[in-house]
Amino acid sequence: MALLELSNITAGYDQNIILKDFSLNVEKGEFVSLLGSSGCGKTTTLRLIAGFSEPVSGKIVFDGKDYTHVPLHKRNFGFVFQSYALFPHMTVFDNVAFGLKMRRMDKETMRREVMHMLEVVDLKGFENRYPREMSGGQRQRVALARALVIKPDLLLFDEPLSNLDAKLRVKMRVEIRRLQQELGFTAIYVTHDQEECFAISDKVAIMNKGVIEQMDTPSEIFNNPKTEFIARFVGFENFFDLTRAADGRYVTAGGQTITVAADRTGTHFKGCIRPEDVAIVSEGAQNAIPGRVMVSTFLGKHTQLNVMTDIGEFVVSTDQNQVFPIGSAVTLSLMANKIILID
Amino acid sequence: MSRKKNYMGMLLVVPGVLFVVFFMLVPLFSLCFASFFPEQSFSLSSYFSLFQNIYFQQVFLRSLRLSLLSTAVCAVLGFPTAYYISKHSKHKGMMMAFAVFPMFTSPVIRSFSWMVILGKRGIVNNALVAVGLFAKPQSLLYNEFSMTVGFVQLFLPQMILSLIGVMDNIQDDLTLAAGNLGATKLGAFFHIVFPLSISGLVTGSVLVFTGCMTAYTTPQLLGGTDTRVLSTMVYQYAMSLRDWTQASVVAIVMIVVTMVVSSVFNSLSRKINPMA
Repeated sequence: MALLELSNITAGYDQNIILKDFSLNVEKGEFVSLLGSSGCGKTTTLRLIAGFSEPVSGKIVFDGKDYTHVPLHKRNFGFVFQSYALFPHMTVFDNVAFGLKMRRMDKETMRREVMHMLEVVDLKGFENRYPREMSGGQRQRVALARALVIKPDLLLFDEPLSNLDAKLRVKMRVEIRRLQQELGFTAIYVTHDQEECFAISDKVAIMNKGVIEQMDTPSEIFNNPKTEFIARFVGFENFFDLTRAADGRYVTAGGQTITVAADRTGTHFKGCIRPEDVAIVSEGAQNAIPGRVMVSTFLGKHTQLNVMTDIGEFVVSTDQNQVFPIGSAVTLSLMANKIILID
Repeated sequence: MSRKKNYMGMLLVVPGVLFVVFFMLVPLFSLCFASFFPEQSFSLSSYFSLFQNIYFQQVFLRSLRLSLLSTAVCAVLGFPTAYYISKHSKHKGMMMAFAVFPMFTSPVIRSFSWMVILGKRGIVNNALVAVGLFAKPQSLLYNEFSMTVGFVQLFLPQMILSLIGVMDNIQDDLTLAAGNLGATKLGAFFHIVFPLSISGLVTGSVLVFTGCMTAYTTPQLLGGTDTRVLSTMVYQYAMSLRDWTQASVVAIVMIVVTMVVSSVFNSLSRKINPMA
């Protein structure tokens, strides 16, 4: 049984339903990311789990117990806010100690725990500073220490790195991943940054309009997207209709037979392929499709061509040093083992 | 070039500074001067004789007591109101307008209204007699009770406004974070919201306290002759007794008391929130 189970959750208010019939399972020790653009419901999901709001309907079960209506202060979940939400009138020590104070821990143990945690996040010597006297990265680590020191059953991150500059963001995400592997906590991490979430997570749940479109390991999502939304999200730009014939071959809308390494049951599919998996070849190659160059864009490492064919427009990424004038005829070759079939 | 520009910028403050110097600092110094030089030479005799005067002692303590009590009542009534308006009200603009509405009426009219309400044939007396708490109508006017009521109604909006201004800046995430770390709603309020509102409470308290100390019409109309306060005493000395020196001495005492109490409020607040 999963550690955390959200089943058939509906959330929102009046006309603005954010989550509808939403379900999510998280296993113990897993680092799960919720990835999606703003307004997709990922933060709402996280706040529901934390107990900041309650769902209109549905159930939240944690460790076998119904948590749907458990008040937030009884949940023992850590939460790292996008704004850090450090208490401005307290020192770093008091901020980190707050959760332990609420648990009525004795002063000596509390001091030890707080100092240990400050050492873990590399903030030894900062305990008497106030949050406003610290940099963004340091505040972020105080927030992390404050959430970790209570030994939470579940750690929730709400875009914790989005206020940091790019370099620090990469450093901190390695740090968070290291701490998670070291301390073994279960975490749910909300972000809109694809690279960040692939780098940090065991599993990624990609959300769109209040539902999870796909939840898988990062590599599975990258290599085998299940829907067009996900495929576009992870860099597929070329989509074309395919029909599976009775003999198992795939035929394009233009009537051309295409070799596809993958095979699925069903008749109508969308084939999709990344720009870098389309080559420009001389006639006669595998899956050759004739077309005409419409736009050529130089992007530094490679050149991007927009090629019009009779089964639609293709985006092709090529590092060939060849120049293709606008309007010139070219032949595209779709690599058979790079074509993904989606419904 | 830029230096010249700075001088031009400073010209903007000149009218304000001149106004303050001539209409506030100069009269203040002449007031001070008059109180320390009663007979052409420096002497504290006016102060000594004033503080030895039993009548003055009564008035002084009454002023202090009434102002502190009114400030406390305004804080107790204003804090939950401001908290509700700032954090929970769906119609914030309207609620604020209601809170501030009494300020649109002159204190004279408001004092007269209280005279009607608290008078022997006012609704309060009628209600208390009807319920049976009073055998016959009692005088609720011209005592410290009626003055406190008048002060609180007069200055409560200032307390509420000061608090709302500060509470609006408290992020909702902070109370959520406190709850997430195990604090009950009450705990989050006392550990987070209260300390972070303290600067608004101090500003409000200083405004209310200063207002109560210096108000004239309210204590004059609702206090009557038996319950004088410092401000009505100044008027009495200056206008009835024509004793300008004594009037100046009382005025200086009022200024000093207000300043001392304000700084006490400030240092208390710094104990609760060192960042305020």
